Amino acid sequence: MKKKMRVLWLSAIACNGNTHSFLNYPYMEQFLDDFEFIYHPVIDSEYSLEDIVSKEITCDILLIEGAISKEFKRADVSVVDIIEKYSKIVQKIVTVGTCATFGGIFRESGYEETSGLHFDKEEPLKTHKDLLDKTISVSGCPVHPEVLVNTLYAIKKSAALKLDNFLRPKEFYAYTVHNGCTRNEYFEYKVDNHRFGELEGCMFYDHGCQAPFTHGSCNKILWNEVNSKTRAGVPCMGCTEPTFPRQNLFSTKKNMAIPENLPVGVGKRVYLTLAGISKAFKIDRLEKKLIDD
Amino acid sequence: MIKLIEKIEGEAKLNFNFKEGKIDFVDIEFMSTRNIENILRGKNAFDALVINPRVCGICGHAHLIATVQALESCYSNLKLSNKAKIIRELTLNFELIQNHFKWFYLTMLPLFGHKQEILKATYPSQLMGKAIAIFGGQYPHTSYAVVGGVVCEITEIDIIKLQHYMAETLKFVEENLVKTKSENFLTCEDADALLDYEGDLPDILRQIKKENLLEYGKSYDRFISFGHNSYFKKGKSLKAKITHNISVLHVKESEMPSSFAKNVSFKDKYYEVGPLARAMVNKTPLIADAHKKYGDSIFSRILARVCEISQLLQHSKELIKDLDLSEKSYIEPSIDISKLSSSGYSAVEAARGTLIHKVEIENGMIKNYEIITPTQWNLSGGTKDKHGVSQKAMIGLSDVKTAELVFKSFDVCSVCTTH
Repeated sequence: MKKKMRVLWLSAIACNGNTHSFLNYPYMEQFLDDFEFIYHPVIDSEYSLEDIVSKEITCDILLIEGAISKEFKRADVSVVDIIEKYSKIVQKIVTVGTCATFGGIFRESGYEETSGLHFDKEEPLKTHKDLLDKTISVSGCPVHPEVLVNTLYAIKKSAALKLDNFLRPKEFYAYTVHNGCTRNEYFEYKVDNHRFGELEGCMFYDHGCQAPFTHGSCNKILWNEVNSKTRAGVPCMGCTEPTFPRQNLFSTKKNMAIPENLPVGVGKRVYLTLAGISKAFKIDRLEKKLIDD
Repeated sequence: MIKLIEKIEGEAKLNFNFKEGKIDFVDIEFMSTRNIENILRGKNAFDALVINPRVCGICGHAHLIATVQALESCYSNLKLSNKAKIIRELTLNFELIQNHFKWFYLTMLPLFGHKQEILKATYPSQLMGKAIAIFGGQYPHTSYAVVGGVVCEITEIDIIKLQHYMAETLKFVEENLVKTKSENFLTCEDADALLDYEGDLPDILRQIKKENLLEYGKSYDRFISFGHNSYFKKGKSLKAKITHNISVLHVKESEMPSSFAKNVSFKDKYYEVGPLARAMVNKTPLIADAHKKYGDSIFSRILARVCEISQLLQHSKELIKDLDLSEKSYIEPSIDISKLSSSGYSAVEAARGTLIHKVEIENGMIKNYEIITPTQWNLSGGTKDKHGVSQKAMIGLSDVKTAELVFKSFDVCSVCTTH
């Protein structure tokens, strides 16, 4: 019988969104043949939460969901203590979702010094530095189930994943959410006539879409195997980034009519030049309805 | 005796007091909170559309719909297309359905000594996730409903895809949950006749009867439901007597000394919310019959929740017929939110029952935000002379294991409660 990898799923200050996103992984049967949870917030496990906090149960991977604070407890034990105990025995730690990675929405929960495991927003933390080599971060609010599961398989295979500065596997986070969006042409040719409830138009100019400067594979591997926020017409809220959540999410912050945040790696002057040229195109099909006319 | 109750979207502590071998009182404690209401204060009102789905991983969509409706109630002359209303109702139905599958196969079955059926939970709930994603781009945690409508535009092809997901889900129900044509299940008006069917639901109901659990889980027989739409009616039911004229103004939230959860009452009385409450108010024949025979017991509660899967699938099929694709998905509000100082509220039916959001805006910024979740209704209580609904349902039981079954029959959600 092949050996299953033993996984502990620990929820810190969380909404369980990553848990339920994970339940959307389409090949669950195969996954459960290869991995077993010594504890999971929803799936039945051999051990109870009380076992987990009171004993030290052998385990290969520690998954952390939710923002972390010493003050926050599970079964009367601080999540930091639980993390420290298991981090010593596991091969790898995976921070699942934006809260566990950067603090996310629940960074503002009011608990003392709430943050991600290694980052407080963009800022690297001094604590848990000894665990840096062990940690892989899969950010997202929630994380895409395929990103999480395939990262776990990479660990099982001992594959050397290349990580970015925030410990995220580049295979998933080297892309931007903009990459693969069905509204790309409107962005490229600077046709800025987006209105909600339409198939046409790019949301970068007015509606706060952060896709051009957000690292993620949302438009490459799609959500629920069918769609993405931006394809549907929801602006990208930048939920994989340390800055999530920014304020005023549905509008684009501008300086002198230029969006403040430009696509990754694009300078303001170059952008202006490029925008000028792009705007010179008058592409009829982009000015009209895609389907009706 | 204190027992940590796990896997209820988080944890709670139940402190059982026994007297002469029977449970005399149960103190329910939630050990943490995430302070979403504080997080919202001072933020741009529209940001609530992104933050609030994060109240809960399993019913975040209900929080989105509650948020958008609460914000819309702040406007005096906002227009919404029928199309947007139908699309919102459809996606909310799908969320309820995915929840019920997960609850039945992940939470309930193990409590009856069966193996947890992970794939039976995830397969149909994934189909419902796909159905929501067609409109919302993703599930969980979309923010596709905005003030003025929905952001998506729907084509005939989307409707065809949607119908396939729904047909596949229905097929799953007919091959697993209740092995019969869904018309038979939906028109069945006799709870006992249902026991003769094959399937995972009748199996559990038979087990309840066989193991003499029929008297378990009875509470006040008092139900309430505020979130009316084209399927759910608003009203309350007291020993099967139904009144529709109720107001959210009589809903009160109060602090609990021992817990981070707050109590919720209507005219100072505790009410049960959820699928059983909705079915009582809606006078669903099968559930009304179960209630007549077995009262507000775990039998009726389980039947009502699972039955809602088929009812909502059926109703969603009808709703799609009313969709007029030529209508607008979104109608821009005439006033910019930054010029708006107002207050409003909403009530929607989430999987576990009535969810209420109240908001106060000043120049487009959130001054105050209050959320009342379904589990707060069902788990209110705290005092010996005034038991909450679930507390009352556990009193008189002789063992903790059965009490956990009764407790979880309310489909408890810790993260919602401790928002």
